[in-house]
Formats: sequence, structure tokens, C-alpha cells
Amino acid sequence: MLPTITVDDEKCADPLSCRKCLLICQTHVLGLGTSVGVQKYRETDPQYFVVRGVRFDKCTGCMDCVEVCPNNAIQVSFNEGGAR
Amino acid sequence: MCDWCEKYGDGYERWYFNPANYARRLYKIRREEAEASGVEANPQAAGGMAVIGPDFQEARDRGDLEKMQEIKQKAEAASWLTHFGQVITLDEALKIADMIYPIGLMTCSCRRSMQGYPVEENFTCMGMGPGMYKWERWPDTYRGGMHYLTPDEAKEVITKLNKRGLVQTVFTFGTPYLAGLCNCDYPDCAFIRTTVDFDIKLLWKGHYVAKIDPELCTGCASCVSRCQFKALNYSPSKNMAYIDQFQCFGCGLCVTECDQGAISLVERAKLPALANVW
Repeated sequence: MLPTITVDDEKCADPLSCRKCLLICQTHVLGLGTSVGVQKYRETDPQYFVVRGVRFDKCTGCMDCVEVCPNNAIQVSFNEGGAR
Repeated sequence: MCDWCEKYGDGYERWYFNPANYARRLYKIRREEAEASGVEANPQAAGGMAVIGPDFQEARDRGDLEKMQEIKQKAEAASWLTHFGQVITLDEALKIADMIYPIGLMTCSCRRSMQGYPVEENFTCMGMGPGMYKWERWPDTYRGGMHYLTPDEAKEVITKLNKRGLVQTVFTFGTPYLAGLCNCDYPDCAFIRTTVDFDIKLLWKGHYVAKIDPELCTGCASCVSRCQFKALNYSPSKNMAYIDQFQCFGCGLCVTECDQGAISLVERAKLPALANVW
């Protein structure tokens, strides 16, 4: 069974320095990306970093990431059809 | 025989000992080809390929073998053409450090994207060859900058990272152009994880297979935590380490950890049933 993992990017302002959810996940399901891609000659501003579900197959549904998030930005649910 | 040695070895024992595969000529070809096909010649964009999208995970979840096979084949074909890796031993990595110049120490983009490691804790990746002179074009890929190493410094760093438990690998950036000497572990290396979890072969096994000498193994199990490929466990019934040689990637991390000298590497090619298990 695969989870649906949603992250509210407006509530999650600076995941690169917070990274609580990344570190608490037992199975390293979550990953860090940027909403602007990789830019030539420019380092991505921290505000454009986003957390997303990546390794959905390893999510156990423990909800540790949901609880650890200081801004309540993460939601995890298990429905038919799963993932994304 | 390893496909890559056959195609790109040009008489050398291994394709990654053929200096031509590190040459500027290939770097230029890669860039031109990539840009001609409308792709930015950016190594990080290439690295993202190791993450297989939710399509595969969904197909696996519903038991759709046909779809899984289709995604696997497509991902492997794309990866082998542009960006894939092969496990090498510590000795082989040290030999490469003597062959290629320049070598630069940089931060690992896999670990950054899976754990958000701060720059100063993340210098575990190495880039090789002419591309290293142009790292400033992609400040995000090379967060923390490029630290050029002398061959002796490179060997020292590789040895230290091996000691720490990281697997040495070489990576192409536009096959057969070799420009990455990575130091990887499960689960944060996207390539190890995709290969081990999904059986999508973006990281090829190395040319060796680990073997235990039952006379010498004392059952101390110090090797067990070294295996990043789920190939090694401790067997309480035998009071000995056990290696699944069909799952072994031949990195030799267990070998370098064993104080008894009970583990050795044998050539994959000499074992008929394993010779083509990559």
C-alpha cells in the first residue's frame, strides 16, 4: 500500500536548514528538491527548496514526519490508488 | 565478460582503466550531443535519473509486472547511455587516482537531496577530468565548491572514506565518459537504492565477488555492518559471516574490515554462474 504525501510549501519555509522530517524518517522516504530546478551560474535560494515524497514504497505510515514538522506542513494518508 | 569492458576497454583489463574514457575529447562530445538534443549539459540533471518516479512504485504495488518491466527497460536504456555507475574496489579506485587529473573533492548531491546534509559534512564525492575546471557554471551541483586534490591527497581521502564504510564507484556522464568517483551507501545513494530496492540496474556490480574462508572466520561479525547491498549477514548457527554471492557487488568493504583476513575477493569472471551477473 502506497501513501499520498503532501507538503504545503508555504508553511515549509526553509527545509534545507530545518530538515527535521528528513532526519526522523526511519526509511528515508522523503527527499529535498527545488521548485526552480538547477540554474546555471546561480545557487538556489533556500526559499525555493521543497520537501517531497520520493521512496513511497518504504513509507510505513508511522506519521513521525507529520508530528515532527514545526509548521504542520506535511500530510500523509493511505487511500486506494496511492502514491503522489 | 563485462559489456562495458568489451565495448570501451580497448585492450585494457577494465574499461575504467582505459585513459581514453576520461579524455577531454569525450567530454566535448557529450556536451555537444546533450545540447543538440535539447538537454542542458548539467551533471545534476543527469543524476536525477536515478530516482524512479511513482509510476514504477504504483505498478509494483498493484503487481503489474508488465508495466514494471517496461519502466525498468526504459530507465536502464536511458541510464546506460548517459549516466550510470559500476562498483570498484579500493585498490582499483587508488589506481584511478594515479591515472586521472584533475580530481576534485565535492559535496554529494544524493545525500543533500535525501538528508539535506550541510555542506561541511558532505564532502564525500569526487569529480574527475576536464569538467572539473568548469564547476562554477553549476553552483548548486557543486555546493561548497571544488577542492582540487593531488593524486596522493585523493588516495588518502578515498582510503579514509572506505574506512568509514563508503563504497567506491565510477560514474559516466555521457557513456563512456567517466567523470565521477563516488563514495556511496544505502539508503542515501540514489543509485544503490534504486538498484537494490527496484532491481533497476543503474549501478553495475563490480568485477569481484567476496568469499569467506571458514577456517579463518571467527564469527566476530565486524564485517556485517559494512555491506551496503544486503548481501552479508551473520549466521548464528555457523557462528560465521554468510555472503550471498549472487547479491554481492564486489566492493570489498567487508574485506578491508576483517582483521582475520578471512574474506577475499575472487574474480567474477572465474565463476561460471556469476560471470554474467552484473
